[in-house]
Amino acid sequence: MKKNYFFKSTLFLKVVLLSSLFVILVMGGITYMHISNLTNSTKIVVKTYKVNVELERIISYLREAESDYRKYIVEKDVSYLNPYLDAKEKVNNSFLKLNELINENSKQHENLTVLNKLTDSLFFNFSKTNIFVENNETNTKALNLLYFKENAIIDSIRRKTNEMFFLENKLFNNRQEKYESDLQFTPLFFYLVLLITLIIIILAYSKITNDLKNIKVKNDQLLIFKESTNQSEIIGKHGNWVWHIESDIFTYSDNLYRLLGEEPQSFEATLVNFLKFVHPEDVDKLTEDLNKMTHVEELPFINYRIIQKNGSIKYLKAYAKSFYSLNGQKRLLGNTSDITEEIESIIALEERNLELERNNKELSAFNYAASHDLQEPLRKIQTFVSRLEEKEAATFSDAGHQYLERIKFAAGKMRILIDDLLQFSRTNKPDKEFVEADLNALFENAMQDATVIILEKKAKITSDTLPKAKVVAFQIQQLFLNLLVNSLKYSKEETFPIIKVNYSNVKAKETPHLLKAAEGNYHKITFTDNGIGFDQKYAEKIFDLFNRLHNKQDYSGSGIGLSICKKIVENHNGFIFSKGEINVGAVFTVYLPVI
Amino acid sequence: MQPNYIHIILADDDEDDRLFFTDVFEELKINTKVNTFNDGEDLMNYLNKVETIMPNVLFLDLNMPKKSGIECLTEIKGIHKMSEIAIAIYSTSASEEDIEQTFVLGANIYIKKPDSFEKLKKALSEVVSINWQYHTNNLNKDNFLLRL
Repeated sequence: MKKNYFFKSTLFLKVVLLSSLFVILVMGGITYMHISNLTNSTKIVVKTYKVNVELERIISYLREAESDYRKYIVEKDVSYLNPYLDAKEKVNNSFLKLNELINENSKQHENLTVLNKLTDSLFFNFSKTNIFVENNETNTKALNLLYFKENAIIDSIRRKTNEMFFLENKLFNNRQEKYESDLQFTPLFFYLVLLITLIIIILAYSKITNDLKNIKVKNDQLLIFKESTNQSEIIGKHGNWVWHIESDIFTYSDNLYRLLGEEPQSFEATLVNFLKFVHPEDVDKLTEDLNKMTHVEELPFINYRIIQKNGSIKYLKAYAKSFYSLNGQKRLLGNTSDITEEIESIIALEERNLELERNNKELSAFNYAASHDLQEPLRKIQTFVSRLEEKEAATFSDAGHQYLERIKFAAGKMRILIDDLLQFSRTNKPDKEFVEADLNALFENAMQDATVIILEKKAKITSDTLPKAKVVAFQIQQLFLNLLVNSLKYSKEETFPIIKVNYSNVKAKETPHLLKAAEGNYHKITFTDNGIGFDQKYAEKIFDLFNRLHNKQDYSGSGIGLSICKKIVENHNGFIFSKGEINVGAVFTVYLPVI
Repeated sequence: MQPNYIHIILADDDEDDRLFFTDVFEELKINTKVNTFNDGEDLMNYLNKVETIMPNVLFLDLNMPKKSGIECLTEIKGIHKMSEIAIAIYSTSASEEDIEQTFVLGANIYIKKPDSFEKLKKALSEVVSINWQYHTNNLNKDNFLLRL
């Protein structure tokens, strides 16, 4: 639509320009023609005048010659003969001039030839008369005849010159009339041409004004569009760019700079400058994709990361499509958007999914263990009861039979209770609230909880000063308690337990345990004991839910304690590791991130 | 010469269960020889000895310290001389997951520990009198779990 309008407009202006040029050329041509006509007409006037003058001259030369010749005949003075000879030459000159002046008119030419013959015969007549005069035969009849003839010729000459004179005047008048009529139409013609030119110019002016008005309106719309694009880019966190491929020039929108964490248009828009922001791991891939873009019309989305100057990493997604300018130059129009929040929420979602998965796994492990470990003693009670019933019932009193029935009933009830508890555990969900807590206080509380067993075992427990940290307090207290109880439970019979708690603040980068961890600092808390220890090959298995390394008869472990420790540490985004040596002791290391 | 008794082994970490198990075979009128082991590792150490004569039936508890029943089962199925042993899973739970896993790993029957001695007697006498060749040929997921 716009394009058609544009073409229409330019075509129209071209037509106006060409027709204006044509009109001006025609006007110029006509003006030139008229001016040269005027010049011609002046020339013709001059020519007519010259012809007349020459004709007059011929007449006067002839008269002069005649009168001088008469004087010569009467006075016989040879000096009179010279003007006569001069006259003859002058007449000839005049004839030559006339011949030049009238050579384009055949009628006049004929007349001139006749006139020439007449003058020739006049001069011939003079020469005859001269013979008579030289022989002194004046006053003879023959001479009179010659005179008579001479007069007749002169008359003829006069007539002929008059005729020529008349003809020339007539010609002159004709021409004059024609030019006058031409000249009469000239102003009208000029006026008409001017009028048409003016109309065309006015039309062109109104068209141009109209076009300008339209352009202004369109410009205004463009301005609004541009502003709204700017705003939507800021709100939508995206920016656009144009890559003029042939000239390798880039233009970035203001918001693209903002996406990079820079002020709008604060650096030159080039590929090299842009790549400086791209995450080193993504540079190669992005460069390759951009190269593809130069010869492919449309590409799928490109994802890459950038690092802003303040160090924060952003995820960007770009899409580009090529298009051609009116003169056929290829350009890529691209749109880049910041999808960091999207990615972060996806990562958070993935983390939550993982956590869910973990929870589910543990729940199913708990489910298995509950159906196994809790039901096992119950099953045994029931089996023993059946043994009693079968083998010993005969010796029972009535009361004994009743008690046995009560036991059977209670065991059945317990089975139901366990099933219900299992059901409950599947729907139970721990809530986490991180608060600033003094780990020393939490450790003291744990020691309090374990007082009985500590005293019983006569254990010696030492601890470094622990820091304050943002934790779920009751969980950390549980963690400390479980680790203490675990060490006390698996102590050597013949020696008093010694438990050392040590603390240090470490950097994730510098700790071999934390290679997979996020960057930053961690609280490292170690529990070292001198207990029975364990084979290092069970170092990981030890944390599995309901996993025991020792027989139930020897050690009273439930197989849950260390699993709970692991869960608590993981809830805090931390890590727990164990290290054991049989009959030497065990070391449990807890890493909690410094928040 | 084929010995005239059925050689049975039980691997179970639970003392009471081992007691019930041996009591059952004492009361049953079948000529059997019963060995018990406290955990998977003890069991495998015994089986791997060169002089050990392979049992006819092996009862495997699943949840044992050091080496679980699943680990033992996997190991046994990979050793040629043990391939003839009939393996009965002997567990408190009968979770779908365990049944599926042990079936796939090549166990021959799955026994859920019953909650009375009579039932236990019945189950074990059924298991030791199974014609294993016939049973194994017709084994499917439905008759894998022993029903009482």
